[in-house]
Amino acid sequence: MRAFEYSSPASVEEAIRLLEAASRPLAGGTDLLPLMKADLASPSRLVNVKKVLDDRIREDSGTLSVGALAVLDEIEKNPVVRQRYTALAEAAAAAASPQLRNMATIGGNLLQRPRCWYFRNPRIPCWLKGGEKCPAKEGENRLHALCGGGPCYAVHPSDLASALVALEADVRVRGKTGERLIPIEDFFVLPTEAWRCETVLQPDELIVSVEIPSTEARSTYLKAMERKVWTFALAGVAAVVRRSGGRIERVRIVLTGVAPIPWRANAAEDAMVGKQFSETLVTDAVDALLEDAAPLAHNAYKVPLLKTLVRRALEDIFRDR
Amino acid sequence: MKREHPPGAVGHPYPRVEAPEKVTGRAKYSSDIRLAGQLSGRILRSPWPHARVKRIDASAAESLPGVRAVLSRFNAPDIKWYEEGKLFDETVRFVGDEVAALAADSEEIAEDALRLIVVEYEALPFKIALDERSSGKTQVKWRGDVQAGLREAEIVIDDVFTTQTALHNCMEPHGCVATWEAGRLTLYESTQGVFSVRCEVAEKLGLPQEQVRVVTQHMGGGFGSKQIAWKHSVIAALLARKAGRPVQILLDREAENLAAGNRNATRQHLKIGARSDGTLTAIDVRVLLQAGAYTAGGEESDVIGTYQTLYRCPNVRAEQTSVRTNTGPAIAFRAPGYAEATFALESAMDQLARELKIDPIELRLRNYTELDQQENKPYTSPDSLRKCYGEIRRAFDSLKGSLKTETKKRRGVGFAAHDWVAGTGHPPAEAIVRIGDDGRATLVTGTQDIGTGTRTALCQIAAAELGISPSHVRIELGDTASGLQSPTSAGSATLPSLGPAVREAAASAKTHSGGKGERGPNPFHKTVRTCGAQCAAVEIDTETGEVTVLRVVTAHDCGRVINPTMVDSQVYGGVTQGMGFALIEERIVDQATGVVLNANLEEYLVPTVADLPDTHNATLSMPDLEANTIGAKGIGEPPIIPTAPAIANAIYDAIGVRFRSLPVTRKKILESL
Amino acid sequence: MASHNVTLQINGAEQVLELEPRRTLLDVLRVELGLTGAKRSCDMGNCGACTVLVDGHASYSCLLLAVDCPGRAITTIEGLAPQGALHRVQQAFVEADALQCGYCTPGQIMSLCGLLNENPAPTEDEIVRAVSGNLCRCGAYRNIVRAGRLAAAKR
Repeated sequence: MRAFEYSSPASVEEAIRLLEAASRPLAGGTDLLPLMKADLASPSRLVNVKKVLDDRIREDSGTLSVGALAVLDEIEKNPVVRQRYTALAEAAAAAASPQLRNMATIGGNLLQRPRCWYFRNPRIPCWLKGGEKCPAKEGENRLHALCGGGPCYAVHPSDLASALVALEADVRVRGKTGERLIPIEDFFVLPTEAWRCETVLQPDELIVSVEIPSTEARSTYLKAMERKVWTFALAGVAAVVRRSGGRIERVRIVLTGVAPIPWRANAAEDAMVGKQFSETLVTDAVDALLEDAAPLAHNAYKVPLLKTLVRRALEDIFRDR
Repeated sequence: MKREHPPGAVGHPYPRVEAPEKVTGRAKYSSDIRLAGQLSGRILRSPWPHARVKRIDASAAESLPGVRAVLSRFNAPDIKWYEEGKLFDETVRFVGDEVAALAADSEEIAEDALRLIVVEYEALPFKIALDERSSGKTQVKWRGDVQAGLREAEIVIDDVFTTQTALHNCMEPHGCVATWEAGRLTLYESTQGVFSVRCEVAEKLGLPQEQVRVVTQHMGGGFGSKQIAWKHSVIAALLARKAGRPVQILLDREAENLAAGNRNATRQHLKIGARSDGTLTAIDVRVLLQAGAYTAGGEESDVIGTYQTLYRCPNVRAEQTSVRTNTGPAIAFRAPGYAEATFALESAMDQLARELKIDPIELRLRNYTELDQQENKPYTSPDSLRKCYGEIRRAFDSLKGSLKTETKKRRGVGFAAHDWVAGTGHPPAEAIVRIGDDGRATLVTGTQDIGTGTRTALCQIAAAELGISPSHVRIELGDTASGLQSPTSAGSATLPSLGPAVREAAASAKTHSGGKGERGPNPFHKTVRTCGAQCAAVEIDTETGEVTVLRVVTAHDCGRVINPTMVDSQVYGGVTQGMGFALIEERIVDQATGVVLNANLEEYLVPTVADLPDTHNATLSMPDLEANTIGAKGIGEPPIIPTAPAIANAIYDAIGVRFRSLPVTRKKILESL
Repeated sequence: MASHNVTLQINGAEQVLELEPRRTLLDVLRVELGLTGAKRSCDMGNCGACTVLVDGHASYSCLLLAVDCPGRAITTIEGLAPQGALHRVQQAFVEADALQCGYCTPGQIMSLCGLLNENPAPTEDEIVRAVSGNLCRCGAYRNIVRAGRLAAAKR
């Protein structure tokens, strides 16, 4: 890593004051340090935020509030999360490795950069890093985007992000101009020419907490990996379904490993919402899934894989597993 | 009177003697060595797959405080390296090829300084792919008339098989500490061959061998990648000499994946002809081998070997062409050539068995040979492969009978056999045993223990011969200063080479208070071989392409089992790597830039604990007293050889799809269904 | 860049060091403190050879900055047991032959210690999961899991 200064402020105001493009927050460091070691990031200062942010998981007045510093292991094991926000617990359990789950925070997990092997190699120019085009588009793209691709074809690596989008979470952030609560679907954005990043977080802002509206919905997260553990998703599905009687009141299906940001499977959702549950309904949803997919040369295999995962996720929810 | 076996008797378990050092973290690997004044060395590597190094400006690096020595082709001695290149060549031929190096007071300064070296490259055209139009150095072996054999056949299996480039990814990267004293160089090296490193480094530096000492007390895995001297040893030595201080160079994980060797990718076009009773009439194989940019270690892996020996067949033609590509040089990787070829051969034999409706093990028995058909000599253990088949027969039938299949998850069982060219051991290998006044023994050898249990087995052999407990034998090894010759720990050679020497030394020490033993020659009139078989059971989720290897059963001929626990561990290790080779390991190179896209342990997937199948080793102890005086043969490599075809054949059994290209990824499974 | 005065808690003892912020805990353990049990293998959090316990939880020391560690109790392989005696997990590794080259071994042991601290009677699945972030290229996994079972039974 290149040399840098290190500060450990005692208040969130002081931390924010120190933040800017070249001065990055340090929580778990599990993505920041590898980016720095690969020379993909070279902040001149790291600002330790572990003394100024919250790690608690609390439920009050209809909201589950997860402090930005809550580590994945705590999220996975929390009884309220497991019982009532199951997709989030399962996503945390499926992510990374035990050591990383002990170190990595929910805040950092949402902010992690793509794993695309062109992006992660500092010697290969790529659009996301400020270059002219995406080498994955015509290159080795077996792991790349089916939807939302172009100009960037990387996929968002976070399992938690899909679960949180499915749970309709909000992200509370705080910066120099104050605090704002951002619906998570507005928090993630497809990178653009002017903003080559996957989130709207500004350089002076910190994630303070992630807040999930209380829900009667059942949810689950399924993940497919090339080996049994400790790999980013080939494909992942977060499904959240709220029923009243047999009627589906609300459904969210969000896909990992499909697009540069967590991807809502809108067509599949539309096929289900307002209808009575039945096996045919699940089939209709799966048939509608990824109608808008635009596979690259090597990643079409993800489509049948995702269809299976969506079907199984919905079946698990309906079986009340 | 039948005596109870004393603990650690030959043939019985005994705990690894260096285990206490390893489990406490006290064991020192070359990466742990820290000498007074030691500097950190770093190597600058080419970002281009093929380029001319036109200019190097290291002035900014040299003037950074704390930088003690900088080397490049403009100031380093002109030293030849590989068959075709130089230590720092004017032309770089793969991404990762060495361009310059420096040593500094700390890692941070070395890293900062490396970034300050400015290199002007002229990019040149490059070649990455191993394709049909590739051509290069070719060798051909034949006997009989293969065309006549194919015409005589009532059935011909004609297929192309491809295997991928696999990377060793030892947990301890390559590296060393180099230190000079009065013109004598000592290298604390992570190596499989202290003598081979000494020999090569001395030659490259123009020193008599006696002035170079190589020490390896513990090393973190080699699997073939550390069986030769690599550039970093000479670079560290040169930097240390220039700076007047010890220099440590450790390859980082990226360099480990680029420039520390790999298992060659192969393309094998195989035709096997047989009569309707399954007896083979012809084997005709043409192999393309991706050798990388240079020939490392002076040898090429022998992909065509097993085609000539495993089965009785009068008509064989086996051709192997080595293709240069602008990728890292290949080096032996656990059973080089045999893991790749056995995948093809055993897949084809499985296909043959199915088409002729002959039981797969019965088919192998119908083509059994007790004769080394290349040398026209009998094997010393002609029946051992049959015995291995017998052990696997039971496991195979039991698995077949017990597997239930649901609609979405299909299960299957596969079988594969193998032989292996090495495992025999050879001279020179020497040992000394001294008996102290307290009756305890000191055993000195020049070998290294690469983690296979060498120390333990040799202590047991000495102890058995002396009639004492292995806990009363103290072993010293891993130092060329001992002056006791030993082969490199490669080719599964260590136990069968050192074991007889140790036994002889101990026997001699019984009557004097010390003794020296030397490994004698291998038999002239017979061939010593190792061989074996495995079966695997898999489960495939046909909707997600997920493969789970449920169980693997192994039976190998390693002659006399000295320590069954150590043998089991080698088997588990080989099967784990074989499973990785079958399903998830693959070096991925970007065709447009020649860059290795997964030069790390994140995207180069090696098996984790969660991937491992339930493995059972049914190996019998089969002392082969014609092979050598301890009747033991090597077990390091055989267990990796049949695993991939056993798994591929099990996949066929489960879903009726024959995968002829490794690794069998989820993508390939999904695309096939 | 300026170095910081850093006080670390390593194996129950206080260590006061002057450190550049960019030095990882792994490198400080191995170089400044001579505790070479934790190994450098990938340096990117992809292999587990650098595993130590931080406040009892298995963590990758290669992804921790030493300057970021004051106030955390760090336990390394060297801190597991007093001189001469083996911790029950270490003893189990010896008995089960849960190692070959030994390079990944300290990390594997620390992960299992982390598990047993929290869960004294783990299931087989929990043992497997606990070491699922530790690679072993020699393939000693089967015996590593067996060692986990043995160690848990020694409680």
